Amino acid sequence: MSELFEPKIIAFVCTYCTYAGADLAGTSRLKYAPNVRIIRLPCTGRISPMFILKALQKGADGVLVSGCHPGDCHFTHGNYHARRRWMVFRSLLDFMGIQPERVIFSWISAAEGGKFADLINTVTEDIRKLGPFDQYKELIRETEAPATL
Amino acid sequence: MAKIGVFICHCGENIASKVDCTKLAAAIGEHPGVAVSVEYKYFCSEPGQESVKKAIRDNNLTGVIIAACSPRMHEATFRKVCAEAGLNPYLCEIANIREQCSWVHTDKEMATEKAMDITRSMIEKVKRNNKLQPIEVPVTRRALVIGGGIAGIQAALDIANAGQEVVLVEREPSLGGHMSQLSETFPTLDCSQCIMTPRMVEAAQHPKIRLLTYAEVEHVDGFIGNFKVKIRMKSRYVDINTCTGCGDCMTKCPVKKISSEFDCGLGKRTAIYTPFAQSVPNIPVIDKASCIYFKNGKCKTCMKSCQINAINFDLQDEFIDLDVGAIVVATGFQVQNTAGYGEYGYGKYPDVITGLQFERLATASGPTSGKILRPSDGKEPETVVFIQCAGSRDPSKGVHYCSKICCMYTAKHAMLYAHKVHHGKTHIFYMDIRAGGKGYDEFTRRAIEEDDASYVRGRVSKVWLENGKLMVRGVDTLLGRPVTIAADMVVLATAMVPQPNAKEFAKTIGIAYDEYGYYNEAHLKLRPVESSTAGVFLAGACQSPKDIPDSVAQASASASKVLALFSKEKLEREPVVATTNEATCAGCWGCVLACPYNAIEQKDILDRSGRIIKRVASVNPGLCQGCGTCVTFCRSNSIDLAGFTDKQIFAEVMAL
Amino acid sequence: MITQEKYRSKAKKLLAEGSVKMVIGYSPGSTPDRRRPVFIRSFDEADQLVLDSNCIANLSGYLVSEGLLSDEKHVAIFLRPDGIRSINILAAESQLNVDQIIIFGFDTNGNEVRALTGEHAGEFSEFIGSIKEHPPEKSRDPLLYQIEQMNPQERFAFWKDEFSRCIKCYACRQACPMCYCRRCIVDSNQPQWINTSSHTLGNFEWNVVRAFHLAGRCVGCGNCDRACPVNIPLRLINSRMAEEVLDSFDHFAGLNPAQEPVLASFKKDDSETFIL
Ligand SMILES: Cc1cc2nc3c(=O)[nH]c(=O)nc-3n(C[C@H](O)[C@H](O)[C@H](O)COP(=O)(O)OP(=O)(O)OC[C@H]3O[C@@H](n4cnc5c(N)ncnc54)[C@H](O)[C@@H]3O)c2cc1C
Ligand code: SF4
Ligand code: SF4
Ligand code: SF4
Ligand code: SF4
Repeated sequence: MSELFEPKIIAFVCTYCTYAGADLAGTSRLKYAPNVRIIRLPCTGRISPMFILKALQKGADGVLVSGCHPGDCHFTHGNYHARRRWMVFRSLLDFMGIQPERVIFSWISAAEGGKFADLINTVTEDIRKLGPFDQYKELIRETEAPATL
Repeated sequence: MAKIGVFICHCGENIASKVDCTKLAAAIGEHPGVAVSVEYKYFCSEPGQESVKKAIRDNNLTGVIIAACSPRMHEATFRKVCAEAGLNPYLCEIANIREQCSWVHTDKEMATEKAMDITRSMIEKVKRNNKLQPIEVPVTRRALVIGGGIAGIQAALDIANAGQEVVLVEREPSLGGHMSQLSETFPTLDCSQCIMTPRMVEAAQHPKIRLLTYAEVEHVDGFIGNFKVKIRMKSRYVDINTCTGCGDCMTKCPVKKISSEFDCGLGKRTAIYTPFAQSVPNIPVIDKASCIYFKNGKCKTCMKSCQINAINFDLQDEFIDLDVGAIVVATGFQVQNTAGYGEYGYGKYPDVITGLQFERLATASGPTSGKILRPSDGKEPETVVFIQCAGSRDPSKGVHYCSKICCMYTAKHAMLYAHKVHHGKTHIFYMDIRAGGKGYDEFTRRAIEEDDASYVRGRVSKVWLENGKLMVRGVDTLLGRPVTIAADMVVLATAMVPQPNAKEFAKTIGIAYDEYGYYNEAHLKLRPVESSTAGVFLAGACQSPKDIPDSVAQASASASKVLALFSKEKLEREPVVATTNEATCAGCWGCVLACPYNAIEQKDILDRSGRIIKRVASVNPGLCQGCGTCVTFCRSNSIDLAGFTDKQIFAEVMAL
Repeated sequence: MITQEKYRSKAKKLLAEGSVKMVIGYSPGSTPDRRRPVFIRSFDEADQLVLDSNCIANLSGYLVSEGLLSDEKHVAIFLRPDGIRSINILAAESQLNVDQIIIFGFDTNGNEVRALTGEHAGEFSEFIGSIKEHPPEKSRDPLLYQIEQMNPQERFAFWKDEFSRCIKCYACRQACPMCYCRRCIVDSNQPQWINTSSHTLGNFEWNVVRAFHLAGRCVGCGNCDRACPVNIPLRLINSRMAEEVLDSFDHFAGLNPAQEPVLASFKKDDSETFIL
């Protein structure tokens, strides 16, 4: 290991809480690792397990999913539905051999810029330690037809 | 072919110092479908905006990306710019390379690379954006107010005084709600009837208010601006248009010993009755369950006594269908029944009463003409014990929450008693005194300091009868010892709870409620008077325990929301709504259950002869708020969300 | 035999009096120990019905065949406990009306066949509740323990190897009574969420998505597992998911016809220990 491995991380966040929290980290000029790419959705309720699979297909070494704390959902219940789905999907991935450490779920409110920055840093470090998700990349390589739009 | 314009903003030095904008613009210029890729110091400035417009027109752009600050800053600005240049505003997206890139990273190379990813991802999204039109919903400018307590009356009057039509529905024979049962009101001790009656009369006579009493909302359909409501007018057996309210019938009715609901069992009424003397409308109803005629077909004394033949035993319930644009729910509360508190002896000892019964005793027009007399023997009690939190803040037997009003009304009761029975002594068992509110702490202090109420901090464990006295045993937790007080009367400050049918009723109107049955606001802090259903607003104690000032304030707030809704003929909404694919929907109704706004309905697909071929889900764009919870649920991928379609998100991910 | 005769004569009676239009059951198959589904429409065909311990397939999926129940007539069907659970789910998801279904309930123990008491789905709720509370012993597949013992890399390799054989025939989907969608997510190509060719990535995605869509709905009948021509142990994934929803949400799929779909509902205090 000569060069530092830079993991690729894709995040799916809701616009009302976590996206706003990420903006706050920016306005507060906090510094964090540049490895995460954010996709903005209206609500955690819109975040489909399919998105996580597609992120992995695009070579993500880690996926982050985040939204409003329970009780704070702009749409009142979207995050409660999301929480159930994630619970199930997470254990399914685990059973398939995808470490839970690669798919991280969190609640970050619009006021938690600090939490956002810290989380990105820890997640980046954790995934750096896990190393690239070679096994999944292997799947992609074996795929004759590369993913197209 | 896509012709995307990408406008990369330096934001002065804010972006340019960490993102190499020239390099970014060059790289993005190579991206398929990009027709224009330019950088500029401030795109949000006047010349910046003009340059975007010019580029749109000159190049016939089919989509615009502004790579700049957060969409939460300037999405609206740039969408407007696009609209002004003739491009559908929803074909504009923002790539956030400031808050989420230049401001948070230190390595210029990595930040530039991230900015490229962010921008590419948004380009792929915008290529798949659809031209959306704001949704226009017509608005019926008529409001339905449900519940004729102080909250409902206030909301109705505010809306009507602003010139809009109101239908006010009250299920009891008279307006008034709990406030009409109260004696005097904290913190000013003004007589409740004196301030209430004029409001009731004003509501009844207001040209813009249609008052329907003894009526219930049976069914609600539709959505914001366009509700269809069915109301059942329960038969009074008295013709409301002819009756003059003379009251002859009530004097003649031979059934005189029915326990009066209005007096909480402390007074009596007849079978044909008005709940109280100042009832509005002052028109009696026949209580079918107690009326002799309805029991055995003989009597009709009242009918014979009526000079103008207003009484008709053959009248039936009637139904009224209404179109309304907004609904204010003001159905109020109940006091908790004390069955769980056997140890306090309620129901066993007649002189153990509730706070609401005390109100009736203290009311000048009440069953004792305002004298504080014991229900058992009609004597004046010399020692009265008040027990606060009899149900509130007691998870084991009552409710978790604080009822908010009991500290105040108990202090009021102690004062009223002291004013009426000068030599009397009051003891109040309490957990905490919660007197937050304008003039509230001063009020409880007055009870202690001027009216000599003796507060004992602690819970009561038992009440029993001994030698004609009600013995109250409790602990004084401040002194750390048990106390026993011999009392002549015990008053329980029972918890405020939702109406017993609150949950059922919520389902009728389609709003959400909490574990108790209090109606949920759309947002506890920021949208406290809107329900989770667009176009339905909340007022008063149906949402949470409230006193009169809070109920009135919320009622006026609801009224202002209704008036805002009625200020235009059409309602414009963001077109971020879900739509279903009727061809592929499997009709599992998972989405219907999952939608937080009840926005999805079942739709019948008919063949030419009108036979149902299948049932599919269909989203009502008037109700959908655009969360996308349904989209994720649907296994057959039969729902999509405009603005965040599967195609768009897929493309965003695939571009990373 | 006794149960078989009992149900044959019941089938005859119901068909003769016209109170059902069809009986869905089992008949002899291509080999002595195989059974094939049979659709009996008249009194005199009823003697084709057999019932023995080889009657394994969950027949409930036939009930949602296009148009079968739309005339509101009644249909009788042979069902094991898992089959009853699956019609409960179909009812809860509005795919059928349980009032139209007469259940010939049975269960097997070794070679023994026993009739279950009850005729309509609702009458079995207590019985199904008892299966939830007391699952039959040794019902957990030993392979599950083995997989759980593996480290993630080994697990991933295990499944990759299993899925590498998948030929995307969709027999698993076809065999499952819960897979009633008119258009499956794999068939939608705007966008193409799942790669349709049978390479490892697409196979992995297909099997993950199938398992997710069946979480809280699979009743463990084994139709999919038996249908798979390349013997992928699909039951393992499904039963792991069933355990998950039971542990996390106390949800036992198909408890009664009014059960709320587990992923279309929530509790405010659902567990969230995994959320940072
Ligand atoms: C003992 C006691 C003493 C109090 N003293 C004071 C005081 O001194 N000062 C103070 O500020 N507050 C006091 N309060 C609180 C006060 O009573 C409430 O704040 C106030 O009554 C709330 O008004 P509301 O209109 O929300 O509810 P309510 O008064 O309960 O009115 C609700 C109305 O809606 C009607 N309704 C219910 N369901 C339906 C339906 N489905 N369809 C049609 N109509 C329906 C009911 O019949 C009722 O008329 C006291 C409360 C109690 C219990
Ligand atoms: S979840 Fe999908 S299939 Fe089920 S009813 Fe809704 S749109 Fe139709
Ligand atoms: S997007 Fe949200 S609000 Fe709209 S129909 Fe779907 S679940 Fe309901
Ligand atoms: S997934 Fe397999 S075991 Fe589960 S219900 Fe469907 S066919 Fe039966
Ligand atoms: S039955 Fe087996 S081979 Fe066919 S699609 Fe399902 S898992 Fe793949």
